[in-house]
Amino acid sequence: MIDRRDFLKLAAALSAAFGINGLPEPVMAALKKIDPAAVPKLIYLQGLSCTGCSISLLQAETPSPLALITDYSQLAFHADLSAISGKKAFDLVDKFISGQAGPYFLVVEGAIPEKMPEACVIGSKTFAQLLEDAARTMSGAIAVGACACDGGIPAAEGNLTGAIGVKEFYQKRGIKKLVVNIRGCSVHPDWVWHTIIHLVKVGVPELINDSPKLFYGRKVHELCPRYHDFQQEIFAKKLGDKGCLFKLGCLGPDTYADCPTRWWNGGRTWCIDSNAPCIGCASPNFARKKSIPFYRLSEIKK
Amino acid sequence: MKIDLGPVTRIEGHLNVRTTVENGMVVDAQCMSEMFRGFEVLLLGRDPLDAQQITQRICGVCPYAHAIASSRAQENAYKLQVPANGRILHNLIEGANHLYDYLLHFYQLSALDFVDITAILQYKGKDADLLKVRQWVQVELNRGKAFPAAPFLPRLSGKYIANAEINIGAIKHYLEAMEIQKKANRAAAIFGGKFPHSTAIFPGGCTQDVRIDLIAAYQALIREVKEFVVSKYIPDVLTVAAAFPEYWKIGASKGGFLSYGLLPLTPAQDSKRLFAPGVMFDGKVTTVDLKQITQDIQYSKYSSPSGLKIQDSALTPAPHKEGAYSWSKAPRYGGRMIEVGPAARVLIDYHQGNNPTLKEMVNKFAGIAKITPNELNSVLGRHLCRAIQASIIADFLLEETERLEHGATAMADIKIPRSGEGVGMTEASRGALLHYIRIENYKIAKYECVVPTTWNASPRDDRGHPGAMESALIGTRVATPEEQIESLRIVHSFDPCIACAVH
Repeated sequence: MIDRRDFLKLAAALSAAFGINGLPEPVMAALKKIDPAAVPKLIYLQGLSCTGCSISLLQAETPSPLALITDYSQLAFHADLSAISGKKAFDLVDKFISGQAGPYFLVVEGAIPEKMPEACVIGSKTFAQLLEDAARTMSGAIAVGACACDGGIPAAEGNLTGAIGVKEFYQKRGIKKLVVNIRGCSVHPDWVWHTIIHLVKVGVPELINDSPKLFYGRKVHELCPRYHDFQQEIFAKKLGDKGCLFKLGCLGPDTYADCPTRWWNGGRTWCIDSNAPCIGCASPNFARKKSIPFYRLSEIKK
Repeated sequence: MKIDLGPVTRIEGHLNVRTTVENGMVVDAQCMSEMFRGFEVLLLGRDPLDAQQITQRICGVCPYAHAIASSRAQENAYKLQVPANGRILHNLIEGANHLYDYLLHFYQLSALDFVDITAILQYKGKDADLLKVRQWVQVELNRGKAFPAAPFLPRLSGKYIANAEINIGAIKHYLEAMEIQKKANRAAAIFGGKFPHSTAIFPGGCTQDVRIDLIAAYQALIREVKEFVVSKYIPDVLTVAAAFPEYWKIGASKGGFLSYGLLPLTPAQDSKRLFAPGVMFDGKVTTVDLKQITQDIQYSKYSSPSGLKIQDSALTPAPHKEGAYSWSKAPRYGGRMIEVGPAARVLIDYHQGNNPTLKEMVNKFAGIAKITPNELNSVLGRHLCRAIQASIIADFLLEETERLEHGATAMADIKIPRSGEGVGMTEASRGALLHYIRIENYKIAKYECVVPTTWNASPRDDRGHPGAMESALIGTRVATPEEQIESLRIVHSFDPCIACAVH
């Protein structure tokens, strides 16, 4: 349980990380107002999303998903888990966003359809409006997954909605708020939960490109168990082959993520171990350009 | 009076249901899908092999189904011969995904409509998990804070199960299901590379090795899931049914059923499947004819032409279109409304006598519940159909692992043609899923997805006839019109996925 001691540690760590005077005014105000019994409440909202990140969060192993939402955070609202529904659910969210229910962190999954706000509606408000309103009251935001960080697939070339990520959305509006980006399509559950635990117990983790360095400090290629194959020029020639997958299009050299050491789904598997090239799902440029396909099979055939 | 049920929680995505209630009865319902991304437009001009990756992101709940449908459409377009191992690995991945999805749906998404979560406060036993939850809820309630014990409280008003022992058993299984669903996903990811969003599924098979150590790990995980399905999931569905028998009569859709069939037995495109395909009207099953499928848009937020066939589809968003109330199109079969999903799969297979185990289980449980098989078109029917299929699928997956050839390839050699077209069909957990691809000059020139919830959460068609879920809601008696837990139970029984419906 989060007690007063933990809260003070969180506040102190936040202050130390940023220098309390360097924090944007609303964050400072929020920090001063935080009710110790209520830290850290999470309001989880979905925009242009597929819910894959939420589903991934339920695949957490240690701690378990239940412990994470009871012991390490308080999931005040999540559309997939909340018992309440309809207007009462919207009112609950609205109470937090309007500042009447105490401090909270906003967790965002999904992109914002900036040029077509009607393309994402929750209750009586557009998703974009909710994010603007929340900026006035939240302690900070955690952008979960490729879509919330950089727009992801909804922002791919040729999209009709003008989808963008949370950071860009706030920047365009001159809103200065702490936004922690957890990239990946989907995210690895550890990347999100361990960031939240870090926020609760220690403070804001060290960030690069707004993402925790702990998970995104090195490239997939650098950490890859097939790096030796790359050096020896042992390349897979067709899908299903062993060896370095670079010539099939592997985007490990362009992608910062610790998949090669963390592994997925209970630590049993990950893309390259199943001979599947990395498609760069943790890269800010994931799936962005039509001219850069995921695979380059034809180049080998020539 | 008009009452909006949105935002509807414990589903995937952004759904509102606008109801009109008169004298305690829902007399009209409009399913309003409220999120649009435009996948079919994003895909234009991309490399065809991007499709099974991009389309998985339509839905992170059932991404593997989209990967399989896209892979089949591409196999069709590339004229690929899939090796036996490749077809089996596709099945092992897709089938395990169904198992997780059924458990997640019954426990995490639906159970709180029936189970009294506050019963935990009366728990006097020694189970460590339940004691921990009881203590957590007590501390939360005593703190006097806003919204204690969220996300499990607050909840909708309504009648819940009264028996404390049943409630506590269900809460325990809710917690266990959170762990068991992970095992099904771990199994799928052994061959899929990771979950959600597999990187190892391709048209022509799967890149993962067919190795005995991987097969053994897969088997162990699926056996654990199967044990849970048989000893807890099926009994829990029957327990809920015994407490709410009226829901065998509530929530019937008023049209036909469609299933493309699930889990092929051989690599051939037209292979016999574990659950047989078909389309069913008035109790009679016929062969699926894709030419009968059209998509209306009069009440959908698009200005593109209405009534187009799959290969002619078009997508021009019109967010302010007058009279339009949903981002979902309105697919129809021969102009008629269709329900897809677990009940459709079971009824269509049952009436053809395809799967003997399915027939036996349907007869047995229909006997216990004192219903006719056609009453599976109901709230409880959809829940029971998922549970029956979970049991059959788990057994089939274990048999499939025995048919794998250790060390043999699971991937065909892909050569993308300059031009071509293909259609791929499967059953996602939520129902009939179709992908269509046309390739011109080595790039995607047309892509169309007709997705389960596009059918189920369909708005009115051009003739003003409701979609399946709308039709199931109309006529429902509700005790508290502002909240309508009864309507929510109907909506949840369809397991709608709005990210899928609109995509």
